[in-house]
Amino acid sequence: MLNPRIDRTTPVIVQGITGRAGQMHSRLMQHYGTNIVGGVSPNSKSININELPVFSDCASAVKATGAQASVLLVGAFDLLRAMEDAIAAGIRYLVTPTEGMPAHDALKAWKRCRETATVWVGASTPGMAVPGEAKLGFLPDDSLKPGPLGLMSKSGTLSYESGFRLAQAGVGTSVWIGVGGDPVKGIRYSDLVPFYASDERTRALLVIGEIGGSEEEEFAQALAAHNFNKPAFALIAGRSAPEGVTMGHAGALFHGSHGTYASKRAALEAAGVTVFASLTDMVEGIRSRLR
Amino acid sequence: MTNCLFATHYSLSVTHYDVMYLLEHDAKQLLASRGIAVPAGRLIEESKAARGAALPAGPWVVKGQIAAGGRGKAGIIRKAASVAEVESHVAAMLGQSIKGLPVNAVRVEQQVAGARETYIGFLLDAASGGVRVIISATGGMNIEQVLPENLHTEVAPPDALALAQCARRLAGRLSGELAAAVGDAAERLAKIFLELEAVLLEINPLFVFDGGRWIAGDAKIVTDDNALARQPALESLIKARAETYADVARKHEHGFDYVVVDPDGEIGLLTTGAGLSMMLIDEMRAAGLKPYNFLDIRTGGLRGETKRLTQVLQWIGEGRRVKVLLVNIFAGITDLGEFSRLLVAALSASHLGTPVVARLVGNNLSSARSVLAAAGIPLYTGLDDAIAKVREHLAHENR
Repeated sequence: MLNPRIDRTTPVIVQGITGRAGQMHSRLMQHYGTNIVGGVSPNSKSININELPVFSDCASAVKATGAQASVLLVGAFDLLRAMEDAIAAGIRYLVTPTEGMPAHDALKAWKRCRETATVWVGASTPGMAVPGEAKLGFLPDDSLKPGPLGLMSKSGTLSYESGFRLAQAGVGTSVWIGVGGDPVKGIRYSDLVPFYASDERTRALLVIGEIGGSEEEEFAQALAAHNFNKPAFALIAGRSAPEGVTMGHAGALFHGSHGTYASKRAALEAAGVTVFASLTDMVEGIRSRLR
Repeated sequence: MTNCLFATHYSLSVTHYDVMYLLEHDAKQLLASRGIAVPAGRLIEESKAARGAALPAGPWVVKGQIAAGGRGKAGIIRKAASVAEVESHVAAMLGQSIKGLPVNAVRVEQQVAGARETYIGFLLDAASGGVRVIISATGGMNIEQVLPENLHTEVAPPDALALAQCARRLAGRLSGELAAAVGDAAERLAKIFLELEAVLLEINPLFVFDGGRWIAGDAKIVTDDNALARQPALESLIKARAETYADVARKHEHGFDYVVVDPDGEIGLLTTGAGLSMMLIDEMRAAGLKPYNFLDIRTGGLRGETKRLTQVLQWIGEGRRVKVLLVNIFAGITDLGEFSRLLVAALSASHLGTPVVARLVGNNLSSARSVLAAAGIPLYTGLDDAIAKVREHLAHENR
């Protein structure tokens, strides 16, 4: 079973730490409490960034720091190679916020992660977090409050808004996974159903989805297959999107009956999931159920 | 002759990608340049050009070019026995609108006769982490009606050897002469699918003659925008035909997503994040409001410059009924003070002229508050409060 739970002791490196995003986000993650132990940059002459040691490859970083997880802030065309470097060094937890990973590269990465039982969150993910413990990626601190709700989302911004409003309403999150908006990706909603089912600190599960693809439908099937018996909720963006129009990496380009709002809503409701029509309804609905 | 089998038999339609659906003509040019036989043909972009144009030897098939399947059923694939008939079909098709897509070009090509129609398809299969290969001894317009047991399909790993072997193995299930011909075609197409980093490559029909010669009767290729910068053939195609591939060309040039969702919309949206922007549109529509556009501006990509904001505000200004601009930014990382300064500068450069309502949450909100106050822009932190203000402006404008 894939287990995405990390804590404040998990040693984490940042690949691409010398870049603009790498420098900024390693600092922000440290500030949140993440145990960042170093960084990797194949071509850099830097020895330290934010007082963290910089290594030329993952193998030397792992040897010196015992890193178990990596946040990869490298270019889209470099991502596959960087992931392979991390996996070869024995790292089994990868978070890849990079946008624009070519789909064929993502397929190769997917296969490699499957073969090595590596947890891969991304690509195009805003990251993941165990609120109160650690975050890997960009998730805004204001949205992260410890609590009983498992949360998975394709969209970054819609999850920030949801997490923020839920936190204001007193509902916190157990494990937050931004699965990302790419079609070919690491963790999909359905992959984590067994984890959330068995995780004692998770009392309910929220999926923030959007039109396009088939992940919400797969998730609905997985709930039934694993006899998931905690309350499950969903918010699906794109209900009013015109057919055949692409809207961003959210990719609301759909044909026929699959991947539409109606198809997702029907599949989720048939699996016992409460599907909310608006953010306001969602916050109120979840708050009252978890009280 | 161009119905998408994947959309009907598999739950993995070509969705959720940043993709480019190539016109048949462009797909065939790409295939021909890689050694795949296609019928001789030429592209006609204006109706008068058909007269006296150097057509291949007849008889012909006249094929309207749109980036969508189902063209045969939509009546834009017609046979022609004389030049006069070609001209009349071309004239009838150009300027038509099929599925909301304008027919701006027509391919006139040689008819293929006396051959069997078979089917070959490759599709990136996100859910199973491989490439789905489908082969059928019968193809053509009614491919959706082929029984599943007559479709030979498997998912192969995304490497050249495994994919070629899979294609050969599936073709091997066809009878006698077809096995070798379809196997040969499928193996070459598999290689091209990987080289182009395609999301979908479908040949329906693949014509196979007695003796084993084959030719691609149609060609459907969908490519991955994320790979574009390392696919020179595709990149130059987009540059050369920026009008045909407008959305992709715009995104490639500007680096963000903008779509007019309702030409009569009254509310311009300056928003970031695809998911939140879509949800906002959904909620506004449900509440009887009329948003004009979808936008994922990507505040992280502004890099201290107003160019992108000004461009977007000018586009929004083209909306003839736009009466108010709603700015909604949830900034995890972005400095809202800096964003607000850029916004105020871009508003003045773009001459948008509508009232502006801002809803901002995140980093450095206090600085944003003073910048926007100085510019006379009301700032809200609650989305519902901002939308109420938008309503107020609309009521005032519509009075």
